[in-house]
Amino acid sequence: MRGTGLLRWVLLPLLAVSAIAPLGLLLMVSVSRDWFAPALLPPTLTAESWLDVVEGGRLGSAFLRSLELAVATGGLAVMAGVTLGRALARQTGWRRHAGAAAAFLPVAVPPIGLGVGLEVSVLWLGLGGSFAGVLLGHLVPAAGYVTLYFMSVFSGYDFRVEEAARTLGATRLELLRRVVLPLLRRPLAEGFLLGFLVSWAQLALTLLIGGGRVRTLPLEVFAYLHAGQDRYAATGALLLTVPPVLTIGLVKLAVGRSEAFPV
Amino acid sequence: MTESRRGWLGALLLAAPVLVGVGYAVLAGFDVIGPGATGWSANRMVRVLSEPAVWSGLGWSLRVATLSTALATVTAVVVAVAFRGSGRGDRVGRALAILPLPIPHLVAGAGAVLLLGQSGYLARLGMAIGLVGGPGDMPPLIYDHAGVGLIAALAWKEFPFLALVGGSVLATRGNVLEEAGHTLGAGRWTVFRRITWPMLWRGMLPAIVAVFIFAAGTYEATALLAPSDPRALPLLTYERYTDAELTSHADAFILVLVGVVVSLAAVAGHEWARGRWERLTG
Repeated sequence: MRGTGLLRWVLLPLLAVSAIAPLGLLLMVSVSRDWFAPALLPPTLTAESWLDVVEGGRLGSAFLRSLELAVATGGLAVMAGVTLGRALARQTGWRRHAGAAAAFLPVAVPPIGLGVGLEVSVLWLGLGGSFAGVLLGHLVPAAGYVTLYFMSVFSGYDFRVEEAARTLGATRLELLRRVVLPLLRRPLAEGFLLGFLVSWAQLALTLLIGGGRVRTLPLEVFAYLHAGQDRYAATGALLLTVPPVLTIGLVKLAVGRSEAFPV
Repeated sequence: MTESRRGWLGALLLAAPVLVGVGYAVLAGFDVIGPGATGWSANRMVRVLSEPAVWSGLGWSLRVATLSTALATVTAVVVAVAFRGSGRGDRVGRALAILPLPIPHLVAGAGAVLLLGQSGYLARLGMAIGLVGGPGDMPPLIYDHAGVGLIAALAWKEFPFLALVGGSVLATRGNVLEEAGHTLGAGRWTVFRRITWPMLWRGMLPAIVAVFIFAAGTYEATALLAPSDPRALPLLTYERYTDAELTSHADAFILVLVGVVVSLAAVAGHEWARGRWERLTG
């Protein structure tokens, strides 16, 4: 629209600052030493906090712990999400709505409420304060999101392809390996990334279920910020940003490469 | 097991932790189970729900959620309308707008602490141009009673999502109706007011409600930027749940129920608005 021309030229620089400034500031803080007000630029630079990451210090080990948790959550959420999403997508009427509502529950409840509720179940299982307990905790909202995602994937899926393969003599394993998996390669990758990201950014659930003993990256960033150790907090915050940004990039790349959704 | 039964069992399994949690919260709230339980009694429920701290915390969280959602919605609508075309400038605008989308809320909170704190970068810029004398002269934007920093951080984090939704509403439903409006002689402002805006807010409403629910219950950014008085509802819940006094834990369950009621009320409000709109438009 021509009338929005001026508005666009005002908005563009504002959007650029909004997108770049917070990350730029975090980057500067992460390499600064003795950077006090009113200085606009750090007087000296240091790579201390980044070396801590590389050498497997507190931030480095938290990064790996978060990575393990997020990969496990993503993998398990995909297994649950494919099975449930596929079964629910084949339902009709109220059954389908009720199934979707059940999957939506863990997504809609505020994380702090979910954490308090989940801790009861996790403690009952004897997993409070453990990696497995936190993994189970992350899995609940992640599986909810991924199930909803696969419900929509399977809504547009042509199940007759599988029937045709079975008619032509394919075994269950062949059907899975040669028909279903190739068709679902992209949704599976996206579902995994969705589950990965739900776990990656979790703080409330990890704090409540892990009781502060499972030291993930969000937990360390939170602790560093509270302790006023801005350099380490900024480094951790930037590390937290890397997988989500990479994920969006990968998904955009995949969308660009595939002409049409394959299912 | 048939696929249908597997689906049902699985969905139930997904919902079970939430249902167990809510069921436990109700029973603990009425002192049936949990530390210090005395058997069915509404005393705790009445005591917690008559605490001024609970209502001021809830009110504060709702105010912050409303203002941040409103700010994010206005920004998203402006961005969606300004960059709705297919030219290079539109693509750049849209790409810049969605950049904050993948950034975790905790990172947004960390950025806000470093940017908006009294010796943060904004204060330093103010000092450099002579607007602010020193860190003490900078008006508090974080841990402040008004919640300016938290509102700004949440709005910054949520507007890209709303802009994305607004953009897709315009792309799929926009042009035909607007062109008809122009053909019938309506000016640009009239077309925006009578066609674009109603179409946008109706299309964006589910996303706006989701953002509101999220903002009212979010923990990460709130824990970093909110004041200690009043205590926002998610912080109050966490505080009671981790209190050294075990009997306070049941108070947290009541606060969880308050949070769930807020979410359900927002969803019910959305359904009511949708039903009303559908009745009006047939």
